[in-house]
Amino acid sequence: MRITKKSSIALSLLIACALLLGACSPGATPPPATEVPTTAPATEAPPAKVTGSLTLLDWSGYELPEFWSDFAAKYPDVKVDFSFMSESADSYAKMKSGFAADLVHPCSNFWKIMVDENMLQPLDTSKLSNWKDINPALAKQGEFNGKQYWAPWDWGFESILVRKDLVTTVPTSWADLWNPEYKGHIALYDSGETAHIIGALALGFPDPWNTTPEQDEQIKQKLLELMPNVLTIWSSQTELDQLIASGDVWVAASAWNASYVGLLNQKVDVVYIDPKEGRGGYLCGFAIPATSKNYDLALAMIDAYLAQSSQAKLANDYGYGISNTAAIPLVNPDTVKLLSLEDQNIISRTVFYKYLTPEQRDSWTNTWSEVKTSK
Amino acid sequence: MSRFKLPSFGSVYYLAICAVLYLPILLLIIFSFNDATALVFPLKGFTLKWYGQLFENSELLKAVGNSLVIGLGSSLVATIFGTMGAIAIVRFKLPGRGLFLSVAALPLVIPYVILGVSLLILFNEVGVPLSSFAAGMAHVVISIPYAMLIVSSRLVGFPDNLEEAAMDLGASYWGALLRVTIPICSPALLAAFLLCFTMSFDEFSISSFLVGTDATLPVYLYSQLRFPTRLPMVVALAAILMTITMAVMLLSEWLRRVGQTPTPKA
Amino acid sequence: MENRGRFASLIGPPALYLFLIFLLPMGLMFAYSFRAGISGAAHDTFTLANYQSFLANSNFHRLLWRSATIAFTIALISTLLAYPLAYYLVFQAGANKMTLMTLLIIPTWTSYLLRIFSWKLILGSSGVLNSLLLATGIIETASPILIYSRGAVIVTLVYVWVPFVALPIFAALERIDKNLLEAAADLGCQPWEAFLHVTLPLSLPGVLAGFFFALIPTLGEFVTPLLVGGASGSMYGNLIQDQFMRALNWPMGSVMSLAMLVIVLLLVFILSRLGNLSELAGF
Repeated sequence: MRITKKSSIALSLLIACALLLGACSPGATPPPATEVPTTAPATEAPPAKVTGSLTLLDWSGYELPEFWSDFAAKYPDVKVDFSFMSESADSYAKMKSGFAADLVHPCSNFWKIMVDENMLQPLDTSKLSNWKDINPALAKQGEFNGKQYWAPWDWGFESILVRKDLVTTVPTSWADLWNPEYKGHIALYDSGETAHIIGALALGFPDPWNTTPEQDEQIKQKLLELMPNVLTIWSSQTELDQLIASGDVWVAASAWNASYVGLLNQKVDVVYIDPKEGRGGYLCGFAIPATSKNYDLALAMIDAYLAQSSQAKLANDYGYGISNTAAIPLVNPDTVKLLSLEDQNIISRTVFYKYLTPEQRDSWTNTWSEVKTSK
Repeated sequence: MSRFKLPSFGSVYYLAICAVLYLPILLLIIFSFNDATALVFPLKGFTLKWYGQLFENSELLKAVGNSLVIGLGSSLVATIFGTMGAIAIVRFKLPGRGLFLSVAALPLVIPYVILGVSLLILFNEVGVPLSSFAAGMAHVVISIPYAMLIVSSRLVGFPDNLEEAAMDLGASYWGALLRVTIPICSPALLAAFLLCFTMSFDEFSISSFLVGTDATLPVYLYSQLRFPTRLPMVVALAAILMTITMAVMLLSEWLRRVGQTPTPKA
Repeated sequence: MENRGRFASLIGPPALYLFLIFLLPMGLMFAYSFRAGISGAAHDTFTLANYQSFLANSNFHRLLWRSATIAFTIALISTLLAYPLAYYLVFQAGANKMTLMTLLIIPTWTSYLLRIFSWKLILGSSGVLNSLLLATGIIETASPILIYSRGAVIVTLVYVWVPFVALPIFAALERIDKNLLEAAADLGCQPWEAFLHVTLPLSLPGVLAGFFFALIPTLGEFVTPLLVGGASGSMYGNLIQDQFMRALNWPMGSVMSLAMLVIVLLLVFILSRLGNLSELAGF
């Protein structure tokens, strides 16, 4: 009986502990098995009172109400739910296996495949009040078969970030990553696509998405030669910033400009390179899945995200590039300069991610698997 | 019995292991007050702003609540299922036992991302809405082998006629299980429950596919890794969770000591 | 007959549950291993090509072997470290043993990711250990200690598994009748003899359970190699993850998982033969 008593105490303390914690959080009540759209009484009646719910498959951090305040003001009775994704591929996999969202937010290397597989509805940009201010070059990347499927929202550079205080020579080209001085101090991004691009640029192939099988083999050999310089492989910005701030990593390949600004704020002595082959670039944005039954609401939500205040917050708080050119005056000028958001000299040479054929995706991933396990 | 002994090798060893387990936690608590976003020495100064941010972030707090509900619920169900399975396979040498054991042990070896994807497909086919409930159902599956192995390793070696002895005294079979077998297993049941809860509370791969809009703490955390500026807030959360857990633990230990009459030595 | 009914009512609910929530979706995934792709026509094409390309890919085999040896090492070390811990709790910790055991588990409720970040704070270039060594003059330039290597993966996972492995050993030792040990002592057994002939054999089911707790999940592990393994730490689990999440090649991912499954079942089979597990654990 002694044992029984003790374990029951231990069990009850667990539950007590849970209740205590649960009490701190507003949403700790057991979730209902089925979603019941809440129709809270409206405080003021807008012209056309719209209720219902909208589900976003989005990155965490963008759920903050400041990012979609226009929508909340216009449709106070619509319940907005967020489901969080951790990678672009993750959102693709979820949609593919049937997750029904009203908006998705992957990056551009997944845009074409989603269009090709009829997973999306085209956007009626005439209903987007902010569309006129969207950077046309970015908007162009979201256009397929003559229709606008994607609303570009956030973008950034991917380049070499260097701890100036820890290296003697600062690299000026992607090919400098192979410099033996950096032995055991480089961090690479964990992606076959990114690795392929770096290899191609370092070898001087102008178009990484258009390589011959012989060139692919050369890229693989080149990447294998890079491995002795590599300390570790990074997969999230938080992890990379930790690696650089701690001094374990001296040279980070494919680091985002957000890392650069963030680390400068932390008084870390870093410099962001403009390699002579050009920087890499990523672009992410919103689209409406074919399965969404809330097309108009979803469109209104996109418009809210594209608003100047939302975009300015994105640049100021997270150090990301933005698509709404009218929002740039609202961004801290130092940030604009550090992020090179307006530097056409750099942007025009930037190598943005493009879509991959399934064969390329397969082959590049396999090459990368082999390279990263070679040591 | 005396609670104060000279330190033995065992207690020194236990303390050493504990030190290793708690050292990272201690550092996290220190850094939750540090006025910098990166977790890097040297410390930059004292601040409470991360705790402030934390309490303004309702999504994160909701995620903690979801994780607790899923963790407690799935561990309870898994411990019950695991115990039933353990009693069945240890006590009865009947056909079907081997097959059940192999199936129940399989979740140990399935990469969770695969279970997550396939359950997502299945749930969509049959119309189970994605929610923390759906993720909890999957957590039961991955917890059952742990619960079953722990409980059965406790049951093996007890005389087979344990229940029969109780039944001779007038109890029904199920009464005997409840009053004799279960109490004897209770340390194992607690161990099983703790382990299952741990499995569920920090599980990311499956939850990420199944929770729908009810994000759990790991799902929120992994998605959040895009933004280094929000790391300290999560650290502050970890510090709070750990402090509350320890406080409840110590409180209950104190209550137990106060409320307990001296027990005879076993 | 009575026994059969009891057996069925005990095993029925968990079996049904596992069938619906586990075997059924696994069947779906198994079917994927014969598909050519995940969408369009490729989705409905039957093929054995995935199996062929798996068999032809020596890199996969190498990694599978590497991961198996790493997992074995980790499970062995974890068990060796956990046994004295469980032994201490059961035989020496007295009335506090449940509390002390729970104390071992509580740290694992802090996100694994955060604990890893914290370890890097201790072992990294500007970390606690380096500062200490620099200050005492033992080293002259700071550099990461231990992390970013295959060894780091082993140490980290041992750190993760020790409390888990201690649990089943604890549960198994708990049930040993202390009178048995006293009887052994009365018969003139030395303590170590009593341990060898009474305690250890009786606790073996728990030891084996703990060993498998550490061994099996380590085979599919991918987060730890990524975070602390550096350039040489990648394991088989990372490759499966890549196939699923990066290459979007679910068919290949499921073939690779099946291969891992076969290895595990083989390992379990061999070990159970060696350790006569079936008798000990009622298998």
